[in-house]
Amino acid sequence: MYRSSNIVARIFERQICTPAPSTSVHHARRFYENLVPSYTVYEVECPDHSFRKFTDDGQYLISFSRNHQELIVYRPRWLSFSCKDEDCDKHDLPSRAKRFDSFFTQLYCVPLASCNELICKDFFLYMESNQFGLFATSTAQIHDAPAAGGAVHGVPSIEKITFHLLRLEDGEILDKKVFCNDFVNLTHNMGVFLYDDLLAIVSLRYQTIHILQIRDSGNLVDVRAIGEFCREDDELFLNSNAQGLALSDKNKQHQLPGNQIENHVHQGQPNLGISFLPGIKQRLLSFIFRGLWNEERDDSLRSQRLRKRFYFHFQDYVDLIIWKVQFLDRHHLLIKFGSVDGGPQVSRNADHHPAFVAVYNMDTTEIVSFYQNSADELYLLFEQFCDHFHATSKNSMYMNFISSHSNNIHALEQLRSIRDKASNSSQFVKKMLASLPFSCQSQSPSPYFDQSLFRFDDKLISATDRHRQSTDHPIKFILRRYPYSLKFKIKPGPEAGNMDGRAKKISSFLFHPILPLALSVQQTLFLQPSVVNIHFRR
Amino acid sequence: MMISGGGGRSSWSSSTSSWVPTTSVSASGKRIQREMVELNNDPPPDSSAGPKGDNLYHWIATIIGTPGTPYQGGIFFLDIKFPSDYPFKPPQVVFKTRIYHCNVDPDGLVSMGILKDDWSPALTITKVLLAVRSILTNPDPYNAVVPGIAHLYLGDRAKHDDIAAEWTVRFAK
Repeated sequence: MYRSSNIVARIFERQICTPAPSTSVHHARRFYENLVPSYTVYEVECPDHSFRKFTDDGQYLISFSRNHQELIVYRPRWLSFSCKDEDCDKHDLPSRAKRFDSFFTQLYCVPLASCNELICKDFFLYMESNQFGLFATSTAQIHDAPAAGGAVHGVPSIEKITFHLLRLEDGEILDKKVFCNDFVNLTHNMGVFLYDDLLAIVSLRYQTIHILQIRDSGNLVDVRAIGEFCREDDELFLNSNAQGLALSDKNKQHQLPGNQIENHVHQGQPNLGISFLPGIKQRLLSFIFRGLWNEERDDSLRSQRLRKRFYFHFQDYVDLIIWKVQFLDRHHLLIKFGSVDGGPQVSRNADHHPAFVAVYNMDTTEIVSFYQNSADELYLLFEQFCDHFHATSKNSMYMNFISSHSNNIHALEQLRSIRDKASNSSQFVKKMLASLPFSCQSQSPSPYFDQSLFRFDDKLISATDRHRQSTDHPIKFILRRYPYSLKFKIKPGPEAGNMDGRAKKISSFLFHPILPLALSVQQTLFLQPSVVNIHFRR
Repeated sequence: MMISGGGGRSSWSSSTSSWVPTTSVSASGKRIQREMVELNNDPPPDSSAGPKGDNLYHWIATIIGTPGTPYQGGIFFLDIKFPSDYPFKPPQVVFKTRIYHCNVDPDGLVSMGILKDDWSPALTITKVLLAVRSILTNPDPYNAVVPGIAHLYLGDRAKHDDIAAEWTVRFAK
């Protein structure tokens, strides 16, 4: 059936036709084919901040001061200006309208960092239901930190990491959570995952997954810590037992374990625990053991199999460390285990070190499944059910429209063509699975990245929030449907191109989740102020 | 219940067939190898063991908690270290999994007659595993290293079993 892509025709069609069931949102999104950020204001006069992102509901633009001390929050507005002539579309925008503050109103500026701490500008999580923002500040990293007190050797240390929970409406700091002499990977939110009101923070140094809850009141409440122990009261249980035993040993009488030591629980690890397997490792090893044990019925064959496949590698399994975690739902975590030599940037040298992912149920404290990062079975799950790995919070419906190879035929085709081109299939599987667990809130929900609407070069731009090396060529967004035409271009940097063509330029793109509005920020490596362009629909 | 099938499969870079070190020519090494073959051919019920990595003198054993005991449902890992003058000295057996048991000290060390003064060179790793497994079914409260647990075992068996079962659920699953 012939469908006009003319916006008037579309509005008319919307009036008279009912779209097929469950496709109304898809239909409505097609209007974005007509409403595109095709007009660019180059080199906008704007405050010299580092712009982080638009919140996923489009309410706020988050930015940090250049000295990484202050948080500045803007409210995106649509520019307004008046024009005396009749046909004002023909005119260029008046210079006042071209300014940054005609698009954005500053709401407030709050100092977050104190004395020797700096804001981690790569870290920001947004809790949409309450309009809370989570920010992090930290002191400098110490690379050759001694591995004291049960810390993993080879992991850097940060003297103080503070998470700040803010109400974005007015910038009020609601709560803080401090980690001392610890290491949380804050780059691109890697070490922290927010799901609904649950927050998982991975302490790499102490191999603990801290589960916190963000209450509506704005408090960060510890729910449990997974690592040495699995249940929230395991340590208390152990201590109360140990004390009960010690007393009965001393008094030679039947002292029942009591709960009186509750206040002393966190005053240090019980030193008797050092030689035992940490709780999460016990679960992992018993899961692997059970699997191998049940696989083979014959005693002798089973014994051999266990010897070769389990006991031989026992220490390797024990030495695995938790690298990254994401929620799959409110109960299940996807945990990546790898060797400590893998380095914080595991994905880069994924090939050299074995890595594993496990699904862990926090409530039953069971490992549900465990795969090596080269497992074809896991890859197939990843290919077919990618969206299940993108755990998004309940109320962010628009997150369902972020294109992935599981919900978008074009993305799937692209993935398959990469797979077919790959010479080594196991390398390919490892490379693809290196993105698991996913980083939290790392993708822009902007409809212009919807691959069923537009086609673009994902090496230059994509929904994933990353800095990219930029060229002087504008990035083209081409319609996926008839008439397959070039709809708009995004060009970072000065209009005329850079004076020095050889200088390396890094660009980042901030797309508003709803409006046809985007910022492109281009930076040359030599500490020059960045060039900010505003792209919008005029 | 297994969901991922053979999810535990791994392919660490080292070859899995090279688990016997070629340099072990000592008497104790030969003896341990022989015991390994013996264990392989006739493994004791619900337990298994094997050298950790390529060190013949350092083993890991696993005991599956016997049904009907408070240790039911638990998977207990043990560390077994053979002395260089094995079999003239007993191996050292340490629980790597927390367990509530009157014959296991707070650091996991198993305390049993046959691992101390009653050791005989005629005993083998298979017999040690059988013995450890049997004290999980029948603790020996009269030779306990944790008197508190032994007292409870003798005085209030039901309470003891409840606590031991709770430990199993918390720490040995």
